[in-house]
Amino acid sequence: MIKTWELDPNFKEEIMNERGGEHLTACFQCSTCTIGCPITEYVPSYNPRKIIQMSLLGMRKEVLSNPDLWVCLICQTCTARCPQDVQISDLLGAIRRIAEKEAEAGNIKIDSSRPIFDKAFQHQLEKYGRLYDIGLAKEYYPKREGSFFKGMMAMMKDYKDFGMRMFKKGKMGPKAMFPEKVKDLAVMKKIFGEMGEK
Amino acid sequence: MSVTKLAYYPGCPSDATAIDQDMSTKAVFEKLGVELVEVEDWNCCGAAEVEDPELVYALNARNLAIAEKEGLDIVTPCSICYYNLERSNIALKADDKLRAKVKGIDSSLDYNGKINAKHVLDVFVNDIGLEELSSKISKKLNLKVAPYYGCYLGRPPETAFDDPDDPDLMDKLIELMGGEIVPFSQMKSLCCGGPLMMTRSDIAFEMARKILDTAKSAGADCIALACPLCGMMLDGKQADIEKALHVEIDMPVVYITQLLGLALGIDAKELGLDKNAVDTKELLGKVV
Repeated sequence: MIKTWELDPNFKEEIMNERGGEHLTACFQCSTCTIGCPITEYVPSYNPRKIIQMSLLGMRKEVLSNPDLWVCLICQTCTARCPQDVQISDLLGAIRRIAEKEAEAGNIKIDSSRPIFDKAFQHQLEKYGRLYDIGLAKEYYPKREGSFFKGMMAMMKDYKDFGMRMFKKGKMGPKAMFPEKVKDLAVMKKIFGEMGEK
Repeated sequence: MSVTKLAYYPGCPSDATAIDQDMSTKAVFEKLGVELVEVEDWNCCGAAEVEDPELVYALNARNLAIAEKEGLDIVTPCSICYYNLERSNIALKADDKLRAKVKGIDSSLDYNGKINAKHVLDVFVNDIGLEELSSKISKKLNLKVAPYYGCYLGRPPETAFDDPDDPDLMDKLIELMGGEIVPFSQMKSLCCGGPLMMTRSDIAFEMARKILDTAKSAGADCIALACPLCGMMLDGKQADIEKALHVEIDMPVVYITQLLGLALGIDAKELGLDKNAVDTKELLGKVV
């Protein structure tokens, strides 16, 4: 049941002011996005059409705390097929960024480790200008597991075999232990300082 | 042939998990007489993890500006890098205000919209062309191949250079090299699950397994692909998928640049074919 007194009439503007969310109101609820989405086979509740409808209605809290936001593959199938050019992939990205900000402010809880992963990834770029796999894993796993020790155990479980395989094939040598750095790191700091997700 | 020199954007996995893709890309272009000039001090494109479009534009304005100074179009073997470079290129070309804003961050982001961003597959088939390639191919691939395109070659429409539902540039290239395409159209442009590998590996593994299984039941000798994240999922993680889902797959997965390199008569080692996680030796015997 929708509790009309809990709706936030400004939510759609909030999304449309976020980069990527501009086309929200073009949606006419045809469901093409949802029918073609490859993730619905694995997560049957996943329904971008519904997320858009709820956003238009102003169901801010329900939308932002919906765990399904975080299983999107960003595969662009919805964006490619949408007859209204809603650019759903970017739109969902905009909603995810609002959700991250709300979670950081302590207003909602996100039931997914994806925000931790994305942030850890961005931190590598900010620090080195390029992806540093080991730095990423060393930030992501402990934060996900809640302690350094548990994080290292989880990382070993996921990556022990893979790491050995890559090492044997000469894809991960001693060089991969250290970050590949961009020389002009000052500019990376500036880019993330000016445009970064605060 | 109009292409003689290109700015090369290798992308982050190029010196580690996708070193084979990097090696084969360089070897193939050399053989084709196209000089690759690596983008000096390039930075990451933002991959799939940077979702804010303007942050992506700023990151890529720097890469595009460096290539523009050389007066060269930029080419990358990675589908995600291609998507980010090209969508930034389109946005920056179309929007003076955005360009000014990005330039305001640092003078090194001063991009004037004078170059094109390309994926290697697009360069091979549409710029160099099948006719030119055919004249340089010296070996026949007696292989049954499952061509896997993944996400960013055929969509989103803004940056796509192939069909969204039935892409065929790789098919054409493989057939030109004497390879046989196995029935694979339903899998061609389905996502490999890569973006969920670190947060929902249960889903990612199932998605990758479906693609690998389909290639196997179609009788493919190998899967050919054009993206290092797909390569990581389908090749690098294949043994993990087998273990986690209690299945046996054993499906070689190669980059399209590796196949093209073989057809051009380049040595397998130079193409990094000893570095693919699933052994590729059996394929080599079928290249004559």
